[in-house]
Amino acid sequence: MSFFLKRAIGANCHLGRVILNNTKVPTVQRVATKTDQGTPQVETRPTVAKIDPLQKAQLIDFGKYMAECLPKYVQKVQLTAGNELEVLIPPDAVIPILQFLKDHHNAQFASLVDIAGMDVPSRPNRFEIIYNLLSLRYNARIRVKTYTDELTPIDSACEVFKAANWYEREIWDMYGVFFANHPDLRRILTDYGFEGHPFRKDFPLSGYVEVRYDDEQKRVVVEPLELAQEFRRFELSAPWEQFPNFRGNPATEEVTNATEAKKE
Amino acid sequence: MAARQAIQVGTKNVRPVLSLNAGEARARVLNLYKAWYRQIPYLVKDFDIPKSEEQCRARLKEMFLNNKHVTDIRVIDILVIKGQMELKEAVNLWKQKGHIMAYFKPTEEPKPKDFLSKFFSSNE
Amino acid sequence: MLRQPLTRALALSSPARAAPLAVRRYAEIAPQPDKVEVFIDDKPVYVPPGTTVLQAAAQVGVEIPRFCYHERLAVAGNCRMCLVEVEKSPKPVAACAMPVMKGMRVKTNSDLTRKAREGVMEFLLVNHPLDCPICDQGGECDLQDQSMAFGSDKSRFTDIHFSGKRAVEDKDVGPLIKTIMTRCIHCTRCIRFASEVAGVDDLGTTGRGSDMQVGTYVEKMFLSELSGNIIDLCPVGALTSKPYSFVARPWETRRIDSVDVLDPLGSNIVVATRTNEVLRILPRTNEEINEEWLSDKSRFACDGLKRQRLVTPLMADSRGNLTPVDWEDAVVAASRALRDCPADKLLAVAGDMADAESLVALKDLLNRLGSENACTEQYFPLEGAGIDLRSTYLLNTGIANVEDADFVLLIGTNVRFEAPLLNTRIRKAFIQKDTDVALVGPKVDLTYDYVHVGESASIVKDLASGTSSHEVLRKLEQAKRPVVILGADQLKTQEGAALLAYTQELALRLQDKLEDKNWKVLNVLQRTASQVAALDIGYKPGVGALLSAGPQVVYLLGADSGVVTRESLPKDAVVIYQGHHGDAGASIADIVLPGAAYTEKRATYVNAEGRAQQALPAVSPPGQAREDWKIIRAISEVVGVRLPYDNLDEVRDRLSEISPALVTYGDMQNNNYFAQARALAQSLQKPVSGNLDVKLKTLEDYFMTDAISRASPTMAKCVQAVLKQKQSTY
Repeated sequence: MSFFLKRAIGANCHLGRVILNNTKVPTVQRVATKTDQGTPQVETRPTVAKIDPLQKAQLIDFGKYMAECLPKYVQKVQLTAGNELEVLIPPDAVIPILQFLKDHHNAQFASLVDIAGMDVPSRPNRFEIIYNLLSLRYNARIRVKTYTDELTPIDSACEVFKAANWYEREIWDMYGVFFANHPDLRRILTDYGFEGHPFRKDFPLSGYVEVRYDDEQKRVVVEPLELAQEFRRFELSAPWEQFPNFRGNPATEEVTNATEAKKE
Repeated sequence: MAARQAIQVGTKNVRPVLSLNAGEARARVLNLYKAWYRQIPYLVKDFDIPKSEEQCRARLKEMFLNNKHVTDIRVIDILVIKGQMELKEAVNLWKQKGHIMAYFKPTEEPKPKDFLSKFFSSNE
Repeated sequence: MLRQPLTRALALSSPARAAPLAVRRYAEIAPQPDKVEVFIDDKPVYVPPGTTVLQAAAQVGVEIPRFCYHERLAVAGNCRMCLVEVEKSPKPVAACAMPVMKGMRVKTNSDLTRKAREGVMEFLLVNHPLDCPICDQGGECDLQDQSMAFGSDKSRFTDIHFSGKRAVEDKDVGPLIKTIMTRCIHCTRCIRFASEVAGVDDLGTTGRGSDMQVGTYVEKMFLSELSGNIIDLCPVGALTSKPYSFVARPWETRRIDSVDVLDPLGSNIVVATRTNEVLRILPRTNEEINEEWLSDKSRFACDGLKRQRLVTPLMADSRGNLTPVDWEDAVVAASRALRDCPADKLLAVAGDMADAESLVALKDLLNRLGSENACTEQYFPLEGAGIDLRSTYLLNTGIANVEDADFVLLIGTNVRFEAPLLNTRIRKAFIQKDTDVALVGPKVDLTYDYVHVGESASIVKDLASGTSSHEVLRKLEQAKRPVVILGADQLKTQEGAALLAYTQELALRLQDKLEDKNWKVLNVLQRTASQVAALDIGYKPGVGALLSAGPQVVYLLGADSGVVTRESLPKDAVVIYQGHHGDAGASIADIVLPGAAYTEKRATYVNAEGRAQQALPAVSPPGQAREDWKIIRAISEVVGVRLPYDNLDEVRDRLSEISPALVTYGDMQNNNYFAQARALAQSLQKPVSGNLDVKLKTLEDYFMTDAISRASPTMAKCVQAVLKQKQSTY
């Protein structure tokens, strides 16, 4: 009896804090299996990060605002995983967009967290370049995505963010995307004389060459690789649906601009 | 907006890497070749490689001629850029002896081509 | 016996069988009854009446969780995992046993359904040990998967009295199956398999409630040639493979689809490998051949692939001992022997497991050397139609169609051990369709009742001529779909040709009278996986006359059954053995060329039905062993008669030149020319007097029959265990 009482009190405590913080915790309709009372309960310890609707609304607003400010450069604004704002831009818009996000008073994304690359060989522009920005002033993050192919150079973001220097060198090294006007574009991770770009999907897992020390030559030699690598293949499919709760959740939702939509 | 998209799709302007025309690209290639050519005596000396200057020059020419079929200006530019980077790595002595000697592929053995020698030499 | 109650039980589940049956030609086409509309999660679906809710749900892609239900076994309905909510039903219903009703609305993901599942799962887990980390089923366990997908996310199980979970003593059911009976969830799939498919009524349950146990009551080996299948059937880790215990997790292994060559049926298999080692062999579903079963020899003899292997070329030295040499030396020596031998003194013998590619390469090599003496170990009469007509040496009915037969006559064959999965088809027909079976030959246990007509070969003659007074003749003549299966072993004797002629006469006489003109009656059950391909390519069956002519050079292509011995050869004969195991053939050889086993090469095998199938390389050949056709190709170049193919595709082109049937993988050709074969055989109907005998009479004879299974320690243990069981009083 006392056990249940304690639990109830504990739940109330949590409830109180939740109210004080003024954040909305969505109530979850649960199957009444664990406890015998049928009343819906407040989930007191969420194991999955809940999406803050206020923050989400602000992000949507900012996305729309941005699309209005830079209609020439913003191709699409979307929300990924519920609350991650993404701006899709053409390759020649990198500098203006980043400059806007860094310097605009309502944005102040002054921190370039990361630049990432992605290779999807089936696309006409196979590489995607992804800039992750952080605004310390507004505690918000934004992701800027652009695209290119093997030969089209992208403007270096170094003049906007000094942090871009090494990130762009890494992408040049791993994907072979050329950054125009980069102050010091050279390899950063691979060995001197290394051929190819390892993160491209058409680069074999085992590489093209192997490097070994040759006793006769008394130095390191590079030789073409003859290694039939055994790939691990995971068979994760089961006949049963593993996560029925995630059925039909779209990964991204587009943020449409009301005025833009009206014009069309 | 639709019109803008249509224009974007219809006329695809490729952005040049460095050169605007074939002549410019050719000039860059020749410049790179000359730069390497002039560095060869120093490379042979600095790295103390067991190759003569003539051998190095022959190999340099061979490696340039390996790409003689390339006509796309942008591809030429990228190759020139990579060549320049290699040269910089060599001249600054970032590379080591093994890296320079890797250009000559001394330890590679040609693979057998006909059925019988493949049968005897490898398990395939 | 089992027969009456089971047919009743099966009536409920008949639509389950309708799915596989529908693809077959001879399935009974019942008049299509009006379909019933039911709603699964509000999606309408039309199914025939009598379909269960579970099957209807499967049609719209909703897999209802289940443990006890299995589509090839009778419905038990005792695990309760498949409970679903049905509108207007007060309680959740078991979907596997509930037939659909018109307008039924099933909710497979409602709160009630989910609660029911969580409850059942909770009960199952209360008495299931938490030993997944040391359980061999981990990673392929239905209980694991379904508790993740459908179970509750927290446990209410607190052992407040510290009484512990239920524990059950493990049973010893032989060297193949490891039992950890504490893990058993009493789905009774193994019991149903044993009594319905394997025909060994040994397993059952004792006790009730929490005292319920699955077992054999007295300690007894599970005496079946299909015992391995209960490992696959077990949804938890109660029954696991003993040779494979603690070897690997399923996600570490690489799985390669292949075919089996240890019996003539060519069952489809999946070879699980890790780090270039075959770990285990599992069945792969093929409705036309093995359904989803696999015989024990095919499944467990894979450890023989690692032992007694030939890993380097060998040559006899001056004292006659085989010593390792280089490939160059061995190939040159073999080539020299072949080149210096007169064409008529040359003999090539193909063994049990030779693939079509190496068979055609060897025959081409011999032909280029001017010799026609390529033969197989198994004999087949060349008189009459001989091997010119394909239908005379094939299983013409087809394995899957045998279960539609209404009378099966077996002549001189113990199908149970010669082709275990063909026997399951006959048993299926016997149980589900009341098919009668008659046997001419020694009395053996076929797992079902049959009429034993006698052992004498003259019975076949009487049946063929219609003069027999036995009731079997009357039944045969009345049958709408009779099947006659002749064991190929009977054709070895002097009277073989006559026996074949009488069997053809009998089968064709029956076939002519049938209404169904597509039904084929005549079947010859070959004993080995290579025989059909070899006969298709044009090998001569049997070595008899060629061997007694005193050959100078004998080329054995995996010939290990002891047909060619040193005593039967001239003193100075050179024996070249090419194969994968150091067995009978290698022990008499002067030059040994190591080849690849069936898991190590991409190769074509033709099964007893005449269906070409492809084995794929799961591992690379050990040591210096090479793919077989490449060895012959290399020799041909050194001899100076280069064979015109350098890669497998070119060999396959050559195969398709000989017979397109050899490269149409997975298809069974429609064979004809029965009448011509019968006409050619008319003159051979001589009186026969001998008795029929079969080699494999009891279970202990079954396990070790070829080079791979003779090298397998697991198979040796099986023989020991069966012999020990015979001593036992039970």
